[in-house]
Amino acid sequence: MSDGFDLYRLRMSLMEDDILICFNGPFSHSIIEEIGLAIRSYLESGETPPSASTDVFAVFVELAQNVQAYAARLKGVAGLRAFDAGTLVIGRTDARFFVSAGNVVARADMEPLAARLEALRGLDKDGLKRLYKERLRAPRASEGGAGLGLIDVARRASEPLRYRASEIDDRHLFFSLTVLV
Amino acid sequence: MDNLIIEASTSSPRVRLDAESGIAEFGGESYPENAFDFYEPISLWFRRFIAESSAALRLQIRLSYLNTSSTKCLVDILDELDEAYGKGRDVRVSWYCDRRNERAQESAQEFGEDIDMPFEVLLEEGAS
Repeated sequence: MSDGFDLYRLRMSLMEDDILICFNGPFSHSIIEEIGLAIRSYLESGETPPSASTDVFAVFVELAQNVQAYAARLKGVAGLRAFDAGTLVIGRTDARFFVSAGNVVARADMEPLAARLEALRGLDKDGLKRLYKERLRAPRASEGGAGLGLIDVARRASEPLRYRASEIDDRHLFFSLTVLV
Repeated sequence: MDNLIIEASTSSPRVRLDAESGIAEFGGESYPENAFDFYEPISLWFRRFIAESSAALRLQIRLSYLNTSSTKCLVDILDELDEAYGKGRDVRVSWYCDRRNERAQESAQEFGEDIDMPFEVLLEEGAS
Protein backbone atom coordinates (compact mmCIF):
# COMPACT_ATOMS: atom_id res chain seq x y z
CA MET A 1 0.00 0.00 0.00
CA SER A 2 2.98 2.34 -0.27
CA ASP A 3 1.35 3.79 -3.39
CA GLY A 4 -2.04 4.07 -1.71
CA PHE A 5 -5.23 2.22 -2.51
CA ASP A 6 -5.46 0.98 -6.10
CA LEU A 7 -8.49 3.00 -7.13
CA TYR A 8 -7.67 2.51 -10.80
CA ARG A 9 -8.21 -1.23 -10.49
CA LEU A 10 -11.63 -0.64 -8.90
CA ARG A 11 -12.50 1.87 -11.60
CA MET A 12 -11.50 -0.53 -14.39
CA SER A 13 -13.53 -3.29 -12.85
CA LEU A 14 -16.63 -1.05 -12.63
CA MET A 15 -16.14 0.09 -16.21
CA GLU A 16 -15.73 -3.45 -17.48
CA ASP A 17 -19.11 -4.34 -16.02
CA ASP A 18 -20.67 -1.16 -17.41
CA ILE A 19 -21.54 0.09 -13.93
CA LEU A 20 -22.85 3.66 -13.96
CA ILE A 21 -23.31 4.20 -10.25
CA CYS A 22 -22.05 2.15 -7.34
CA PHE A 23 -22.65 2.86 -3.68
CA ASN A 24 -21.51 0.88 -0.67
CA GLY A 25 -22.20 2.17 2.82
CA PRO A 26 -24.97 3.17 5.20
CA PHE A 27 -28.20 4.15 3.43
CA SER A 28 -29.74 7.28 4.84
CA HIS A 29 -32.69 9.11 3.36
CA SER A 30 -30.51 12.02 2.23
CA ILE A 31 -28.13 9.62 0.49
CA ILE A 32 -31.08 8.03 -1.31
CA GLU A 33 -32.18 11.50 -2.43
CA GLU A 34 -28.69 12.41 -3.65
CA ILE A 35 -28.14 9.19 -5.58
CA GLY A 36 -31.64 9.60 -6.99
CA LEU A 37 -30.78 13.07 -8.29
CA ALA A 38 -27.55 11.73 -9.81
CA ILE A 39 -29.42 8.92 -11.58
CA ARG A 40 -32.00 11.38 -12.87
CA SER A 41 -29.46 13.77 -14.30
CA TYR A 42 -27.51 10.92 -15.87
CA LEU A 43 -30.60 9.39 -17.52
CA GLU A 44 -31.97 12.72 -18.69
CA SER A 45 -28.70 13.74 -20.29
CA GLY A 46 -28.73 10.64 -22.50
CA GLU A 47 -31.09 9.10 -24.99
CA THR A 48 -33.07 7.15 -22.39
CA PRO A 49 -36.85 7.30 -23.04
CA PRO A 50 -38.77 8.94 -20.15
CA SER A 51 -40.63 5.67 -19.38
CA ALA A 52 -37.36 3.78 -18.88
CA SER A 53 -35.94 6.61 -16.76
CA THR A 54 -39.00 6.44 -14.53
CA ASP A 55 -38.66 2.67 -14.16
CA VAL A 56 -34.95 2.78 -13.30
CA PHE A 57 -35.55 5.55 -10.80
CA ALA A 58 -38.56 3.78 -9.25
CA VAL A 59 -36.70 0.48 -8.91
CA PHE A 60 -33.76 2.28 -7.31
CA VAL A 61 -36.02 4.05 -4.76
CA GLU A 62 -37.92 0.90 -3.76
CA LEU A 63 -34.80 -1.23 -3.38
CA ALA A 64 -32.87 1.44 -1.49
CA GLN A 65 -35.80 2.13 0.84
CA ASN A 66 -36.22 -1.61 1.42
CA VAL A 67 -32.58 -1.91 2.47
CA GLN A 68 -32.95 1.11 4.73
CA ALA A 69 -36.18 -0.15 6.30
CA TYR A 70 -34.76 -3.62 6.87
CA ALA A 71 -31.66 -2.21 8.57
CA ALA A 72 -33.88 -0.11 10.84
CA ARG A 73 -35.95 -3.18 11.72
CA LEU A 74 -32.86 -5.27 12.50
CA LYS A 75 -31.37 -2.69 14.81
CA GLY A 76 -31.56 -3.81 18.38
CA VAL A 77 -32.48 -7.43 17.60
CA ALA A 78 -30.54 -9.48 20.14
CA GLY A 79 -27.81 -11.70 18.76
CA LEU A 80 -27.67 -10.01 15.39
CA ARG A 81 -25.07 -7.56 14.29
CA ALA A 82 -26.26 -4.08 13.46
CA PHE A 83 -26.13 -3.58 9.71
CA ASP A 84 -27.12 -0.30 8.23
CA ALA A 85 -24.89 -0.65 5.22
CA GLY A 86 -26.00 -1.80 1.83
CA THR A 87 -24.56 -2.09 -1.64
CA LEU A 88 -26.24 -0.65 -4.66
CA VAL A 89 -25.29 -0.77 -8.29
CA ILE A 90 -26.90 0.64 -11.41
CA GLY A 91 -25.49 -0.57 -14.66
CA ARG A 92 -26.16 -1.46 -18.24
CA THR A 93 -26.24 -4.82 -19.88
CA ASP A 94 -26.79 -4.93 -23.64
CA ALA A 95 -29.26 -2.13 -24.21
CA ARG A 96 -31.00 -2.38 -20.85
CA PHE A 97 -30.46 -0.97 -17.41
CA PHE A 98 -30.26 -3.05 -14.29
CA VAL A 99 -30.42 -2.18 -10.62
CA SER A 100 -28.87 -4.48 -8.01
CA ALA A 101 -29.18 -3.96 -4.29
CA GLY A 102 -27.75 -6.08 -1.52
CA ASN A 103 -27.58 -6.14 2.24
CA VAL A 104 -26.87 -8.42 5.15
CA VAL A 105 -29.96 -10.29 6.32
CA ALA A 106 -30.66 -12.55 9.26
CA ARG A 107 -30.58 -16.14 8.04
CA ALA A 108 -34.05 -16.71 9.49
CA ASP A 109 -35.51 -14.00 7.23
CA MET A 110 -34.20 -15.54 4.03
CA GLU A 111 -36.72 -18.35 3.66
CA PRO A 112 -39.89 -16.21 3.75
CA LEU A 113 -38.20 -13.65 1.50
CA ALA A 114 -37.21 -16.32 -1.02
CA ALA A 115 -40.76 -17.70 -0.95
CA ARG A 116 -42.15 -14.23 -1.70
CA LEU A 117 -39.71 -13.72 -4.54
CA GLU A 118 -40.45 -17.14 -6.04
CA ALA A 119 -44.17 -16.35 -5.94
CA LEU A 120 -43.52 -13.08 -7.81
CA ARG A 121 -41.28 -14.85 -10.33
CA GLY A 122 -44.19 -17.15 -11.17
CA LEU A 123 -46.60 -14.35 -12.06
CA ASP A 124 -47.08 -12.65 -15.43
CA LYS A 125 -47.80 -8.92 -15.83
CA ASP A 126 -51.55 -9.31 -15.26
CA GLY A 127 -51.01 -11.51 -12.21
CA LEU A 128 -48.59 -8.98 -10.76
CA LYS A 129 -51.04 -6.15 -11.36
CA ARG A 130 -53.84 -8.07 -9.62
CA LEU A 131 -51.62 -8.85 -6.64
CA TYR A 132 -50.44 -5.24 -6.46
CA LYS A 133 -54.00 -3.91 -6.37
CA GLU A 134 -55.00 -6.45 -3.77
CA ARG A 135 -52.14 -5.41 -1.48
CA LEU A 136 -52.71 -1.72 -2.12
CA ARG A 137 -56.02 -1.86 -0.29
CA ALA A 138 -54.98 -4.37 2.37
CA PRO A 139 -54.68 -3.03 5.93
CA ARG A 140 -51.28 -1.51 6.66
CA ALA A 141 -50.29 -3.98 9.34
CA SER A 142 -50.44 -6.98 7.02
CA GLU A 143 -48.21 -5.28 4.50
CA GLY A 144 -45.00 -6.52 6.06
CA GLY A 145 -42.01 -4.39 5.06
CA ALA A 146 -41.22 -5.15 1.47
CA GLY A 147 -44.69 -6.24 0.34
CA LEU A 148 -45.82 -3.63 -2.16
CA GLY A 149 -42.33 -2.50 -3.07
CA LEU A 150 -41.21 -5.86 -4.42
CA ILE A 151 -44.39 -6.25 -6.47
CA ASP A 152 -43.92 -2.79 -7.96
CA VAL A 153 -40.32 -3.61 -8.82
CA ALA A 154 -41.39 -6.91 -10.44
CA ARG A 155 -43.96 -5.05 -12.52
CA ARG A 156 -41.33 -2.64 -13.84
CA ALA A 157 -38.87 -5.43 -14.64
CA SER A 158 -38.53 -6.82 -18.14
CA GLU A 159 -37.53 -10.25 -16.80
CA PRO A 160 -38.34 -12.17 -13.60
CA LEU A 161 -36.45 -10.90 -10.55
CA ARG A 162 -33.12 -12.57 -9.82
CA TYR A 163 -31.71 -12.97 -6.38
CA ARG A 164 -28.99 -14.76 -4.50
CA ALA A 165 -27.88 -15.35 -0.95
CA SER A 166 -24.17 -15.52 -0.15
CA GLU A 167 -22.85 -17.13 3.01
CA ILE A 168 -21.43 -14.90 5.74
CA ASP A 169 -21.74 -16.93 8.96
CA ASP A 170 -24.24 -19.16 10.73
CA ARG A 171 -26.61 -16.28 11.49
CA HIS A 172 -26.16 -13.98 8.52
CA LEU A 173 -26.40 -14.03 4.74
CA PHE A 174 -25.73 -11.41 2.12
CA PHE A 175 -28.88 -11.05 0.07
CA SER A 176 -28.82 -9.44 -3.35
CA LEU A 177 -31.58 -8.71 -5.79
CA THR A 178 -31.15 -7.79 -9.45
CA VAL A 179 -33.85 -6.09 -11.48
CA LEU A 180 -33.49 -5.79 -15.23
CA VAL A 181 -35.59 -2.88 -16.44
CA MET B 1 -61.28 25.71 8.24
CA ASP B 2 -57.61 26.36 7.51
CA ASN B 3 -55.73 25.85 4.29
CA LEU B 4 -52.85 23.42 4.29
CA ILE B 5 -49.71 24.36 2.42
CA ILE B 6 -46.57 22.23 2.31
CA GLU B 7 -43.53 23.23 0.28
CA ALA B 8 -41.82 20.65 -1.90
CA SER B 9 -38.55 18.94 -1.01
CA THR B 10 -36.44 16.62 -3.17
CA SER B 11 -38.53 13.62 -2.12
CA SER B 12 -41.85 15.11 -1.08
CA PRO B 13 -44.40 17.00 -3.17
CA ARG B 14 -45.70 20.53 -2.98
CA VAL B 15 -49.19 20.44 -1.49
CA ARG B 16 -51.80 23.22 -1.58
CA LEU B 17 -55.16 22.47 -0.05
CA ASP B 18 -57.45 25.48 -0.26
CA ALA B 19 -60.62 25.17 1.80
CA GLU B 20 -62.22 28.30 0.36
CA SER B 21 -61.91 27.47 -3.33
CA GLY B 22 -62.12 23.71 -2.81
CA ILE B 23 -59.02 23.30 -4.98
CA ALA B 24 -56.43 20.79 -3.83
CA GLU B 25 -53.09 20.53 -5.63
CA PHE B 26 -50.20 18.09 -5.46
CA GLY B 27 -47.04 18.58 -7.50
CA GLY B 28 -43.57 17.06 -7.74
CA GLU B 29 -42.36 13.67 -6.61
CA SER B 30 -43.26 11.61 -3.59
CA TYR B 31 -40.86 9.20 -1.91
CA PRO B 32 -40.44 10.69 1.58
CA GLU B 33 -38.64 8.84 4.32
CA ASN B 34 -41.94 8.13 6.04
CA ALA B 35 -44.90 8.45 3.70
CA PHE B 36 -47.48 7.70 6.40
CA ASP B 37 -46.21 10.59 8.53
CA PHE B 38 -46.12 12.89 5.52
CA TYR B 39 -49.65 12.09 4.33
CA GLU B 40 -51.36 11.96 7.71
CA PRO B 41 -52.09 15.72 8.05
CA ILE B 42 -53.12 15.78 4.37
CA SER B 43 -55.53 12.91 4.85
CA LEU B 44 -56.89 14.62 7.96
CA TRP B 45 -57.45 17.85 6.02
CA PHE B 46 -59.54 16.03 3.38
CA ARG B 47 -61.57 14.28 6.06
CA ARG B 48 -62.34 17.59 7.72
CA PHE B 49 -63.13 19.26 4.41
CA ILE B 50 -65.65 16.56 3.60
CA ALA B 51 -67.22 16.71 7.05
CA GLU B 52 -67.25 20.45 7.64
CA SER B 53 -68.03 21.85 4.20
CA SER B 54 -70.36 20.98 1.38
CA ALA B 55 -68.37 22.77 -1.31
CA ALA B 56 -67.17 21.08 -4.49
CA LEU B 57 -63.67 19.60 -4.48
CA ARG B 58 -61.25 19.75 -7.38
CA LEU B 59 -58.12 17.68 -6.94
CA GLN B 60 -55.34 18.57 -9.37
CA ILE B 61 -52.37 16.24 -9.39
CA ARG B 62 -49.01 16.73 -11.04
CA LEU B 63 -46.99 13.93 -9.47
CA SER B 64 -44.46 12.41 -11.83
CA TYR B 65 -43.43 9.68 -9.42
CA LEU B 66 -44.80 8.12 -6.22
CA ASN B 67 -43.13 5.31 -4.35
CA THR B 68 -45.31 2.44 -3.17
CA SER B 69 -45.84 3.82 0.37
CA SER B 70 -46.97 7.16 -1.06
CA THR B 71 -49.19 5.34 -3.55
CA LYS B 72 -50.91 3.54 -0.69
CA CYS B 73 -51.47 6.82 1.17
CA LEU B 74 -52.89 8.51 -1.91
CA VAL B 75 -55.18 5.56 -2.69
CA ASP B 76 -56.56 5.80 0.86
CA ILE B 77 -57.32 9.50 0.30
CA LEU B 78 -58.91 8.84 -3.11
CA ASP B 79 -61.06 6.08 -1.61
CA GLU B 80 -62.39 8.52 1.00
CA LEU B 81 -63.13 11.14 -1.64
CA ASP B 82 -64.83 8.48 -3.74
CA GLU B 83 -67.02 7.54 -0.81
CA ALA B 84 -68.02 11.21 -0.41
CA TYR B 85 -68.78 11.30 -4.14
CA GLY B 86 -70.99 8.25 -3.69
CA LYS B 87 -72.97 10.21 -1.11
CA GLY B 88 -73.56 13.03 -3.54
CA ARG B 89 -70.52 15.28 -3.08
CA ASP B 90 -69.19 17.10 -6.14
CA VAL B 91 -65.65 15.73 -6.51
CA ARG B 92 -63.41 15.63 -9.57
CA VAL B 93 -59.79 14.51 -10.00
CA SER B 94 -57.54 15.76 -12.81
CA TRP B 95 -54.13 14.14 -13.16
CA TYR B 96 -51.64 15.92 -15.41
CA CYS B 97 -48.84 13.90 -17.03
CA ASP B 98 -45.90 14.54 -19.28
CA ARG B 99 -47.02 13.66 -22.81
CA ARG B 100 -43.75 11.79 -23.47
CA ASN B 101 -43.81 9.64 -20.34
CA GLU B 102 -46.05 6.65 -21.01
CA ARG B 103 -45.17 4.93 -17.74
CA ALA B 104 -46.28 7.94 -15.71
CA GLN B 105 -49.54 7.97 -17.72
CA GLU B 106 -50.18 4.27 -17.04
CA SER B 107 -49.57 4.77 -13.33
CA ALA B 108 -51.94 7.73 -13.28
CA GLN B 109 -54.64 5.76 -15.14
CA GLU B 110 -54.35 2.98 -12.61
CA PHE B 111 -55.30 5.31 -9.77
CA GLY B 112 -58.61 5.91 -11.56
CA GLU B 113 -59.43 2.26 -12.24
CA ASP B 114 -61.20 1.36 -9.02
CA ILE B 115 -63.11 4.54 -8.23
CA ASP B 116 -66.41 5.93 -9.48
CA MET B 117 -65.85 9.69 -9.20
CA PRO B 118 -64.83 11.66 -12.31
CA PHE B 119 -61.12 11.04 -12.87
CA GLU B 120 -59.27 12.28 -15.92
CA VAL B 121 -55.67 11.96 -17.08
CA LEU B 122 -54.56 14.99 -19.06
CA LEU B 123 -51.40 15.21 -21.12
CA GLU B 124 -49.17 18.24 -20.97
CA GLU B 125 -46.01 19.28 -22.73
CA GLY B 126 -43.07 18.67 -20.40
CA ALA B 127 -45.25 18.51 -17.28
CA SER B 128 -43.66 17.01 -14.24
